[in-house]
Amino acid sequence: MVEVKLKDVVKTFGETVALKGVDLEIKHGELFTLLGPSGCGKSTTLRIIAGLDFPDRGEIWFDDSEVTYLSSSERGAVLVFQNYALWPHMTVYDNIAYGLKVRKLPKSEIDKKVRWALELVKLEGFEDRYPTQLSGGQQQRVAIARALVVEPKLLLLDEPLSNLDAKLRLEMRSEIRRIQRELGITVIYVTHDQEEAMAISDRIAVMNIGNIEQVGTPREIYEQPRTEFVASFMGKTNVIPAKVVEREENKVTVEFESFRLDGLTYNEKNDNVVIVIRPERISLHPIENAVTLTGKVDLIEYYGFFIEIVGLFGEKRIIARTISDKDIKGLKPQGEVTFYINREDILVLPRQQL
Amino acid sequence: MRISKWSEKLFGTPLFEPLVAFSFLFPLLYLVVFLIVPVLAMLFIAFTYEGNFSLHWFKSILGSSYYIQLPPQGDFVTKQVTATGETIYLIRGIDFGVIINSLVVAFFVTLLASLIGTIFAFVMARYDFKGKNFFRIALFIPLLVTPFVNAYVIKRMFIEYGLVNFILHDIFQIPFRIKIDGLVGVALAQAMAYYPIVYLNAYASFINIDPTLEEQAENLGSKSFHLFRTVTFPLALPGIAAGATLVFIFSLEDLAAPIVFHGDPLAKKLMSFQIFSKFISEFGERSPEIAALSIIMLTLAILAFLGIRKYVSLRQYAMLSKGGRWKPRVSDPRPWQKVIIYVLLLPLLLFTIFPQIGVVLLAFSKQWSVTVLPHGFTTNYIKEMIINPDVRRYIVNSLVYSGSAVILIILLAVTSSYAAGRFKGALSPVLESIVILPIAVPGIVVAMGYFYFFSNLFPNTILDPVSITFNPAFVLILSYSIRRLPFAARSVYAGLQQVHVSLEESSLNLGASRWKTITGILLPLISLNVFGGGMLSFVYAMSETSTSITLGSIAIEKAPITAFMKDIMLSAAGSVNIAAALGVLLITVQIISIVVVNIITKQRYAFIGLT
Repeated sequence: MVEVKLKDVVKTFGETVALKGVDLEIKHGELFTLLGPSGCGKSTTLRIIAGLDFPDRGEIWFDDSEVTYLSSSERGAVLVFQNYALWPHMTVYDNIAYGLKVRKLPKSEIDKKVRWALELVKLEGFEDRYPTQLSGGQQQRVAIARALVVEPKLLLLDEPLSNLDAKLRLEMRSEIRRIQRELGITVIYVTHDQEEAMAISDRIAVMNIGNIEQVGTPREIYEQPRTEFVASFMGKTNVIPAKVVEREENKVTVEFESFRLDGLTYNEKNDNVVIVIRPERISLHPIENAVTLTGKVDLIEYYGFFIEIVGLFGEKRIIARTISDKDIKGLKPQGEVTFYINREDILVLPRQQL
Repeated sequence: MRISKWSEKLFGTPLFEPLVAFSFLFPLLYLVVFLIVPVLAMLFIAFTYEGNFSLHWFKSILGSSYYIQLPPQGDFVTKQVTATGETIYLIRGIDFGVIINSLVVAFFVTLLASLIGTIFAFVMARYDFKGKNFFRIALFIPLLVTPFVNAYVIKRMFIEYGLVNFILHDIFQIPFRIKIDGLVGVALAQAMAYYPIVYLNAYASFINIDPTLEEQAENLGSKSFHLFRTVTFPLALPGIAAGATLVFIFSLEDLAAPIVFHGDPLAKKLMSFQIFSKFISEFGERSPEIAALSIIMLTLAILAFLGIRKYVSLRQYAMLSKGGRWKPRVSDPRPWQKVIIYVLLLPLLLFTIFPQIGVVLLAFSKQWSVTVLPHGFTTNYIKEMIINPDVRRYIVNSLVYSGSAVILIILLAVTSSYAAGRFKGALSPVLESIVILPIAVPGIVVAMGYFYFFSNLFPNTILDPVSITFNPAFVLILSYSIRRLPFAARSVYAGLQQVHVSLEESSLNLGASRWKTITGILLPLISLNVFGGGMLSFVYAMSETSTSITLGSIAIEKAPITAFMKDIMLSAAGSVNIAAALGVLLITVQIISIVVVNIITKQRYAFIGLT
């Protein structure tokens, strides 16, 4: 177990700036996720923590020691690669035993630990197979066992589920969570899948073009996004550009198209804003003291366990989501529809500069 | 540990690692010291006259009608009538002077080899026909190197009573005979030996074209020759051009054909032969004119090499394939295409593999003078090759030199591939280019460079070719290790590209050292490529001619087999059959190696390439 600190880490590859000064604090025994679209710098951050790349500037600390320029082999932060990186010329046993052999442990000790690791990932009996004789999920387990068997201070997982099919992904997700809890180990997890991140993490850092946009628990990130990017990245949501037209202390009135929404909370200076509304927080039934928006039905989309109603408000489309068939009774394309939204469910955020 | 700025800059590793630094510096310094510096030494000598910098030697060469003869002299064809009243047309070519002759010969060899090679490649890549497997195997036969002897057989094919006249005059009743000699003979011998190089490169290009590109063109209404001209051929052109450039360079530097055809004075008027003959006819310090001529030849070869590199890099068509299996575009030939395959290409193929068959016949023939095929067979020459202590010594010398060279080659190929393939430092592209540079440096230029380098820097040692204590072993091993490095380096580099870098990173990440990671993970994974590359280098080291017949034949006790074969060809007295027997030995070694490499590495066509 280890606490990890990144201080103002900058990394460039040629002309491109991959990391623009990243600060992070990851606590003991935490499952911490770096979440972001491809190219946001999350894998680079992970490789820098693993010691496979070195930052141009900034520091990396494990507990009270600085490890910024410690080579990967001396660092003890073990990475599970996205492609698993199992050695095709070694058996499952030899793959897992490799790190222990490097540490020159006695044979009996190695054997004991390898068996423990195989049991942990539920692969007893597969010792003599070669990686090519395993399914994707089994290869993944070997890769995790190979990393865990050396009892790393820190386990790093780079998109570990991206090469698995949907069903296996769910299974391995809870498996990783189980192992992490069992061992109480600090884990840094990289993914581009927000749902995966929400389900597995203690805390999430959302990254975008080399910056950390927000750090918080899954609930905080989802319900109180601090930037337009975080709001739009965390699931399907309505992000509508608007303008502040009136201010009164921390309450504002914003306007988009010909609609005015008053009594919203907003503390920033910038008058160019977006309003963010989660589709599931929009009601099709009247609510007291709610904001109402009346427009036309553009589309009704049936998803099985929920239904989405796309409303057209001037030029802007807003999506509402319901699980009840009754809600769409009487609605038809081009017909009139009214959305009701509680004021506390409308988030006003400064518009992001491009 | 702090990061090292210069290590990051040069080697691409922010932490200085001795093993990585070694992987960069060892091959780099080796090639600089034993390839670049000798050439520079020669450059220095070529530009020195009476102790000062001077263009004297270049002026004297370029101003002489012996080297540049414009307009050309002589008749391309001369008609002779024999005592028996038969008409013989003697085809020799015309004399443009040594330098232009070399270029003209190389140009026509390249043209002919490219044409034949591309046609064969297209037919093999796109048609299914009976006997295709025979074609496939037969197309490799001309690549079997038997220095001098196969050129000798080709020469015999074109004499008054050789195979060609047997076919044309005796079978097809053409009322005259033709004899080919001189520059035309040299060009034909080279084209027959080198066209499979274009074939291999072109074939690889044709089968690497994403079939959907052609299907889309067809879908849009293009077909047959229009399709070939607008889509297929342009996409394959970089490969064809790369093969053609190799042929151009090989033709320029070839010594075997001119030596075999040296009975005709016109065949001697080629740069390679001129450098060679001036070198062996002088003693002690050689005239700087040789150095100047070598520099001219090197310049031409390097220009061709750089030209093709530039051209190919400009036309790296990334095949934007989006998954899906490639269904190779192979079809049955139409009737008129069958006629071309069986009536035109098959005889042509048989004709071009005849030299290698002829080498074997020659090794086993009792007597073979003015007839198409030999009279009577004997195994005496094979026996003599094994029993005769002199001949055996040449074989052992060659084995020792080539074996030692291969050890160096493997070390150079692995370190340079690892450094250039895994690290992105300032030295990486330098290393990548310098490792294949030996392809562009004619062997005779290496030989001359070594001569000036070692005689000036190590006078009166065993390294000094002018000294009586000279032992060619060291110099030949160096020369082989550099000249044959590109074969192994390409193979190892290709293997390295197949191994995902994360396999090594995970080893480092689990605590293994760089050394342990290379020896425990990387080398086992690329061992087949290392082995295959080593075998190819060995085979081509055994048949190396340029340095072997110059520096290698100074001390006859220590000479390799090719030096001995050259002596047979140059002196009328020696037995050509013994040379042929050695040719059979070389063919056997090559066939075994190639078969083993193909079986073990499952790599075909991993023979000769440029890019």
